[in-house]
Amino acid sequence: MALKALDIYKLLPKKNCKECGEPTCLTFAMKLAAGKADIEKCPYLDEEASRILGASTKPPIQRVKIGVGERSFAVGDEFVQFRHEKTFNHQPGILVAVSDLWPDDRIQDVVREVRDGVLVRIGTDLRLDGIAIRCESGSAEEFSRAVAAVEAKADLPEVLMAADPEVMEAGLSVCGAFRPLIYAATDENYQGMCALAGKFGCPLTIRAESLESLAKLSALAAKEGAPALLIDPSATTLSDYIKKATAIRQNAVSKTVPDLGYPIFFDTTVTGMQDAALALGVDKYASVLVCDRLSIPSRNALLTLRQNIYTDPQKPIQMNPGIYRVGEPVRDSPVFLSVNFSLTYFTLQGYLEASGVPCYMLVVDTEGYSVLTAVAGGKLNETLVAESIKKTGLESEVDHRTLIIPGYAAPLSGKIEDESGWKVLVGPRDAAGVAEFLEKEWKK
Amino acid sequence: MKVDIISEWTGEIGEVTIGATKKEGGSRCAAIVIGGGSGFPFLGGSAPGRKPLIAFEFCDDPKLWSPIVTEFEGDVVNDAGAWAARAEERHRPDLLRFYLTSTRRRGFQEFSQVGRSVEEVLERSTLPLIVEGSIDPAIDSETFLRCGEAGEGERLLLGTAEEGRYRSVAAAAMAYGHSVIAQSPIDVNLAKQLNILLRETGVPHDRIVIDPYTGALGYGFEYSYSAMERIRYAALKGDEDLAMPMVSSAIDSLNIKEVREADPGQRGEMAVKWELYTAVSSAIAGASVVCVRHPDTIVPLRSAIDSLWGKTGGGD
Repeated sequence: MALKALDIYKLLPKKNCKECGEPTCLTFAMKLAAGKADIEKCPYLDEEASRILGASTKPPIQRVKIGVGERSFAVGDEFVQFRHEKTFNHQPGILVAVSDLWPDDRIQDVVREVRDGVLVRIGTDLRLDGIAIRCESGSAEEFSRAVAAVEAKADLPEVLMAADPEVMEAGLSVCGAFRPLIYAATDENYQGMCALAGKFGCPLTIRAESLESLAKLSALAAKEGAPALLIDPSATTLSDYIKKATAIRQNAVSKTVPDLGYPIFFDTTVTGMQDAALALGVDKYASVLVCDRLSIPSRNALLTLRQNIYTDPQKPIQMNPGIYRVGEPVRDSPVFLSVNFSLTYFTLQGYLEASGVPCYMLVVDTEGYSVLTAVAGGKLNETLVAESIKKTGLESEVDHRTLIIPGYAAPLSGKIEDESGWKVLVGPRDAAGVAEFLEKEWKK
Repeated sequence: MKVDIISEWTGEIGEVTIGATKKEGGSRCAAIVIGGGSGFPFLGGSAPGRKPLIAFEFCDDPKLWSPIVTEFEGDVVNDAGAWAARAEERHRPDLLRFYLTSTRRRGFQEFSQVGRSVEEVLERSTLPLIVEGSIDPAIDSETFLRCGEAGEGERLLLGTAEEGRYRSVAAAAMAYGHSVIAQSPIDVNLAKQLNILLRETGVPHDRIVIDPYTGALGYGFEYSYSAMERIRYAALKGDEDLAMPMVSSAIDSLNIKEVREADPGQRGEMAVKWELYTAVSSAIAGASVVCVRHPDTIVPLRSAIDSLWGKTGGGD
């Protein structure tokens, strides 16, 4: 059961030593209660306190860090089954597979693509995360050669995929210091794999067909001293995956089966329908996704979906209200009313840019709601528009007094005219229509 | 120890029938039932509901359609009936969704053409049909009347009712035996409110399909995704005013910058991937009908839905 901050505080040493990184024991306790701090950061806990706090403040899904340096990423640390209940915290890492049967240059083509490929959306750089190196040769020598070929080109997070602990060790002897993810410990090899995970301090993936054996194996691995775990329910169809992943997530967040409280690993290459499997993995609980090389369209759609699903639903992405310029507008350029939901802003801005007509955008504060939602909820109204016109000094920027409002705000047109004294033109509902609208309605 | 999916639902999703066969007084190849079930999609259980269906969207005025699709399809897009026939034969969706985009031109008045277009599409195709009428309250009444009349006996799904302009669609649906798409702006409460309004005008529960509005991937899709999950969740917890099947169509997908301005050699594939990732996610979130515009999206989408569904209705 979750403890309150004050209950936790009572168990802390109250030395305010700051060694945990927090200014006082009380702030540390508050962070622990919110699931935002790690109890192990406190060096002075007695055994009893450590036992109680360790169990109750641990997130239901363990946090695992993969890789080192700039591109390293953390997964796990999740608390809910649906993103609308709170938010999903750590987006899945996406790792592209290479084989140790391939020559170095083929491997390195993929590495370069993952290292350099970037999609810029709403001011954020979206990238794939790393490389999965698959042992298909069965040879320790070939495997370590392939790992070295990857290491020679980039400091990307890696998954080492080999069934034989000896082969795995050969790979780890090349990159074991960079916290690669070991894949995978099974019923047959778990002792060897756990020993390697302990020796190199690397996270380890457990693989089993049934959830019962997964739970059993993860308990054994933890006992063997593996420092951090992921679990792979070895799904081969989308149906199998969604059911197992959902059951894992439910039983983990409800703490019904704590031994399933680890991030999920999903190798999408075995499903034969990679795009759909990747979409499913992003939507439903995967923390590490392995895939074959992606085309640019697949990559862009995947990265965009991941950005969407892992956006905190409690915080609409907002722009600062005010006047924005598209191109170099002058005193008779058109003025478009828009809202401070950033996607609305970027959509409209994109279409205005494409139209080639310089103009102003008057962005008003609808608390991050889109036009449709803001009109329905009364967040976008004539008072707000009139006040924004005054506050932003729009009337000293342009000589005319005509405001183009979004099509979905049409019901407000009369009220805006009355309240602001500006003439209102109702624009298209769909920003895609602004070029045609400017052509037909503005120029005449 | 046996680990299972935790299911504590009692509510059930309602069913809606689209299309009427000859025996039932129509001319469709099948009467398709959507919805049903009492769990989250694809999780199996004792009442998994029905497998989500794919609708192919087309229109009667291709100038208001994405050039990516019209160039792919060629001249056939200038004849709605021929386009319907070709889509059914070659693209093989489960349903057709016909947009009367002609009504969206300024000053549109040719209402007799509306009826003729719907009749032509019905003559040249056999799949159950969704018809999207006007989006302008000034011509709604006349447009929907013509649509409803032309499809009498065919058990169409008519779209789209919104808060503030639902009466015309509802009236046409009630007069001619069709069902209604109820669209609300990505908000559970507004979806519920519109369903209640429709019920008050006499549209029964089993003739309403919820459209929570699907934003394009990268342009608000996350809100739609969660709205669908929340609607499903509320329905399963017993809220009957939200227990209708849902339709999802990310109609802006092919117009957004990422797709429109993609490298010309990759534009088609970009369109398909954008639709595919969106539609798969919508089905996972609970949509009973997922709609696409690029013909090449249908095959991979069908494989995905089949694989998600498994062998025996998600229960295998």
